[in-house]
Amino acid sequence: MTVMLESPGRGTIRARGVPPTARRGTAVKRHRLAAVGFLSPALVLILVFIAVPMVMTFWISLHRWSMFTPITDMDWVGLDNYRAVVTGSTHLAALRNTVVYVALSAAITIPLAVLLALLLYVPRLRGRGLVRVILFATYVVPTVAIVIVWSNLYAPSYGPIDATLSALGVTSPGWLSNPSSALISLVIFNVWQMLGYYVVLLVAGLTQIPEEVYEAARIDGAGPIRQTVSITIPLLRNTLVFVFLMTVVNSIQVFDPVYLLTQGGPANSTNVLSFDIQRTAFQNGLAGEASALAFSLLILLCLVAAVVSKGLRRRT
Amino acid sequence: MSTVTTTGRDLQRPTRRGRRRMTPGRLALYVVLVLAAAIPLFPLYWLVIASLKGPQEFGRIPPTWFPMDPSFEAFSRVFEVVPFGQSFLNSALITGVCSVSVLITSVLAGYVFAKYQFRGRDALFWAVIGTMFLPPIVTLVPLYHLVSSMGLSDTYAGVMLPWLVNAFGIFLMRQFIADVPDELIDAARIDGAGELRILTRIVLPLLRPAVVTLLVFTVVYYWNNFLWPLSILQSEDKYPIVLTLSRLLSYSTSVQYQNVVMAGALIASLPTLAVFLLAQRVFVQGIARTGVK
Repeated sequence: MTVMLESPGRGTIRARGVPPTARRGTAVKRHRLAAVGFLSPALVLILVFIAVPMVMTFWISLHRWSMFTPITDMDWVGLDNYRAVVTGSTHLAALRNTVVYVALSAAITIPLAVLLALLLYVPRLRGRGLVRVILFATYVVPTVAIVIVWSNLYAPSYGPIDATLSALGVTSPGWLSNPSSALISLVIFNVWQMLGYYVVLLVAGLTQIPEEVYEAARIDGAGPIRQTVSITIPLLRNTLVFVFLMTVVNSIQVFDPVYLLTQGGPANSTNVLSFDIQRTAFQNGLAGEASALAFSLLILLCLVAAVVSKGLRRRT
Repeated sequence: MSTVTTTGRDLQRPTRRGRRRMTPGRLALYVVLVLAAAIPLFPLYWLVIASLKGPQEFGRIPPTWFPMDPSFEAFSRVFEVVPFGQSFLNSALITGVCSVSVLITSVLAGYVFAKYQFRGRDALFWAVIGTMFLPPIVTLVPLYHLVSSMGLSDTYAGVMLPWLVNAFGIFLMRQFIADVPDELIDAARIDGAGELRILTRIVLPLLRPAVVTLLVFTVVYYWNNFLWPLSILQSEDKYPIVLTLSRLLSYSTSVQYQNVVMAGALIASLPTLAVFLLAQRVFVQGIARTGVK
């Protein structure tokens, strides 16, 4: 993730080092006090509500515990919960479905977002500002509301998608009710909702590429396609990596549409990790097993990040 | 070398200044542009027209693509079927408190990370930013336990407490504050201004785009947040709008209520859409800044 930030800002205050005068010394002390005061609200909240729970997730994953009994009643079971994750068919399906969902989401979203960003970057194309706003608008609508619309769009017979398909003489794949098309239906839903956000990030990346590079390429006789392949894509790499990571982070935690539309079904075909975690903890009362699932999700995420950063280092 | 560049520029100029004619290639680009707008718009269009249809029209096969007899009846019925008004206020309260808190904590922390030097600053900053990539589902179980053991299960405080800070907000503010010239801050210090005064009187006025961006982001994020309220709340009178909407969704099995469900979804989407559209110019640029550099 280091690629996204410029090197940390030059500070104006040196808290360390010998102050030149005594007056300067009290100023430094005052600044130090201010720094502590300004930072502590954020840091305390992050410590209590993010850092501590993260450590607890791992700790709980090594125990048997129903969430609704005191935490002192936890029984140590070692890695049993992780064994349950890799041997239980429901949990394995959740793992597999999550990987497929994330991979498909990234594979569809990123090329589409790059093409749209390039389109919106074509100079003097009227209405591109409006299109960018329309694309982004889907991102701000509550997922529950989008779920409601899409459940209607996907509806058999009276939904507009199936109506169009049958008018064209095509048999409906059954969308959410068919085990072989339910997950991809949720991927389409995800791509539709998130695409605009990534397009905006990519357009911003495009504007960072200096115009002179393109001019030099044009002099060398490079056409638009050659310019895109040899200049735009390589120089957009940092933004592309960021967009890829955000796609993975956002889609690996998909919960709302699964909970609302399919409850993991039909036949476990849309059971993803976050839904499985919530159900295992809150409905089945198996907090230890749910935590093992949660920690597995985190490991999966770290693996992706590690592969990406290794790939980056090799290329630079 | 320089002569070549000049020639290159001169060659470029006529096309730059002159009006472009509508070539087939450009026409194709416009067709794609219209499609790029139509695909995100269609489901939103469907949401609007479906909420205006009557129950009879709703069940028609094939569906009508424009309401035959548009009626706003569903919009008043949604307030009778579920406690929609109360939920709306609940969402406004939760979103408001969390957004203001995130704004304050982010500006304070962002200022320190951008303008102060101390040992371990960068490590601390990256540790904080790392939490930005942590999916909330990972800590759901311990967080539920933590908040319940504070006695805050099924309370407004319990819904809000874990979300009073946001790493993305700190990141955004640090990015913007780093661009505030050091000389401005130094000058104020020489004049004897305190740190909080410098922050509120000198730095904050320069952060308007960042503040707008962060507020739009938090309003969207907390208005739409589903998983946590679902886990911590039991009483329907405390439900935020998205939870009430999910309860409303179960009514869609009955043909009598389908337009009501749609109307509910539309009303629940209006605040975030309105906030976004009002601030879109600043917001899109602000969000864009988080992805580059």
